[in-house]
Amino acid sequence: MHVVHKPSTGKRITLALFIALILFVASNFVDEYRIFQGAQVAAYLVGIISIVLLTGFSGQITLGQGAFMAVGAYSAAIVVQEFALPIWLTFFIAVIAAALFGAIIGISAGRLSGPYLAGATLAFAVGIPALANAIPILGGEQGLSFDIGFAPGKYADTVSPYKWLFWICALCAIIAVVIAVNLTSSGMGREWRAVRAHETAAALSGINPARSKVLAFTVSSGFAGLAGVSFSATVGLVSPSGFTLSLSFLLLTGAILGGISHISGALGGAFIIVIIPTIFEAWTEEASLGVATYLPGIIVSALLLLSIALAPEGPSEALHKLRHRGHRKP
Amino acid sequence: MNLLNTLIAGVSIGAIYSLIAFALILVWRSTRVVNFAQAGQAAFSTYVGLTIEKAVGNYWLALIGAILAGVIVGAFVEVVVVRFIVKRATSAATATVAPVIAMLGLLGIFQGVMGLIWGGEYQPYPTAFAREGMSIAGNQIPFSQFDLFVLLTVVVAMSISAVIFQRTSLGLSMRAAAFAPEVTRLSGIRVSRIRTLGWAFAGGAGGLAGVLVAPTTFIAPNSFDLLLVFGFTAAVIGGLDSLIGGVLGGLALGIGLSVVTGYLGGSYTFMTAFVLLIVILLVRPQGILGARGARRA
Repeated sequence: MHVVHKPSTGKRITLALFIALILFVASNFVDEYRIFQGAQVAAYLVGIISIVLLTGFSGQITLGQGAFMAVGAYSAAIVVQEFALPIWLTFFIAVIAAALFGAIIGISAGRLSGPYLAGATLAFAVGIPALANAIPILGGEQGLSFDIGFAPGKYADTVSPYKWLFWICALCAIIAVVIAVNLTSSGMGREWRAVRAHETAAALSGINPARSKVLAFTVSSGFAGLAGVSFSATVGLVSPSGFTLSLSFLLLTGAILGGISHISGALGGAFIIVIIPTIFEAWTEEASLGVATYLPGIIVSALLLLSIALAPEGPSEALHKLRHRGHRKP
Repeated sequence: MNLLNTLIAGVSIGAIYSLIAFALILVWRSTRVVNFAQAGQAAFSTYVGLTIEKAVGNYWLALIGAILAGVIVGAFVEVVVVRFIVKRATSAATATVAPVIAMLGLLGIFQGVMGLIWGGEYQPYPTAFAREGMSIAGNQIPFSQFDLFVLLTVVVAMSISAVIFQRTSLGLSMRAAAFAPEVTRLSGIRVSRIRTLGWAFAGGAGGLAGVLVAPTTFIAPNSFDLLLVFGFTAAVIGGLDSLIGGVLGGLALGIGLSVVTGYLGGSYTFMTAFVLLIVILLVRPQGILGARGARRA
């Protein structure tokens, strides 16, 4: 595919630092609520990347990515509560815990395909509240608090909590994007795509499909773990009600709308799923509470359905094809 | 005696899982899509039943209304959405995942619409029968009149389905269309119509299951998510291709979960079902009664 003129890792990191600088400066010029939404976008972005890696690149469907986010978030909250570790360390722990968990699930999931994998991951997502209630250390319905607190030292007074939250989430997201882009343009990413395109052909080329699938599951879960801890930071809480089935659906919708086969689409997807409810909140201010609560969900689901029906690889991919009509892809 | 009670209680809830498994398998056989929107369809039908019940105050009219609503919604979903998705989304890289995601989108729409119409609170659903355990020779047993009603209703529904599938030409067409659509089409049967009928049939089964389970679980837009997972597990136990397998799988799951709940406590119910699902998928993906190689299809 098109891997010839990709920038090097060094250039990507420079670009990422530049974007980080822009975001840092920009965060001083927008109001607090927008900053908070920025943090949400950053958290969802990482979650969507985890789906793009798994479904778009490795071809394995997941309906329960929220469950892996929950694994990351809960492990972070537990280590804070039990061992009082510094917050920054918990992000790493969340990633490692979720990745380990993903590896275990992936070993079994690697042998499943299509509807069976979908059903198993769906069951996993549906069962998160039940599991949280069954294991006492997870704090039941109330969950565990997860507070990233204030900016350190003398900045605590000048930097608002939302700004601090945004910086942390944005930093996580930027790191995640850089790693994801590097991964997908590396040999590993090409292996994943080969297995997705044709398992037997990939195996004949010396790739071990089972290993590749489990690896994809592990990596994707690590990203989901990071998304989970970022997401919990925005909520300030890790509870079963935060990781419902609708979170998994929302992320999947973002991934599909942004374009499931490109990392770059994830940002668009994350924006869409944060913006749509906001737009409807403004529109439906006079309407009943019910409309404000349910209409965004209906719109998002309808977009998902339309997108799958009209542009299965996402609207961005469809536009891309429209623009490059006549140029046949190699 | 205690074990016996637990087993009998499991049969009643297992019968409901059987209905959902039946609905999922019927759709899977004809369209090769696992209908995750079934949870939404069933809840929608149950809400229709509840509305009729509130307006008229007749349980039986509400039951029939819910089944009819399920039939109509099932047929509608097939004609308006599924047909289009299956035709369109088969060429892209997302071909294998597209129908599943579409079904999820549909589930989201259903749940949102239900929330708009009926609100998000859990509402009780009435029954025509006592929910207290019956007493036999002075001993109260956990098996209630309602449980007996559920069991009998499911047995009757399954018997009617069995007669339709095995004894009528319509049933023969449905089985043929599921088994070899191309050959069936060449034999002059309109496969697409048969497929719509299958979805309608499945929708009706879902509506019935919803009305039967709602007095226990209550009804809310997403209150049947768990039922869907249990129904899917039951279908997988039986092998996604075997209707009898799915029905037996539902009963087995109901009894098994009832035993776990009775002896270990309710918090282990879901974990047991989940572990069971994973183990079956890994050890015997074709199900207990399914044909070999069915998973690949």
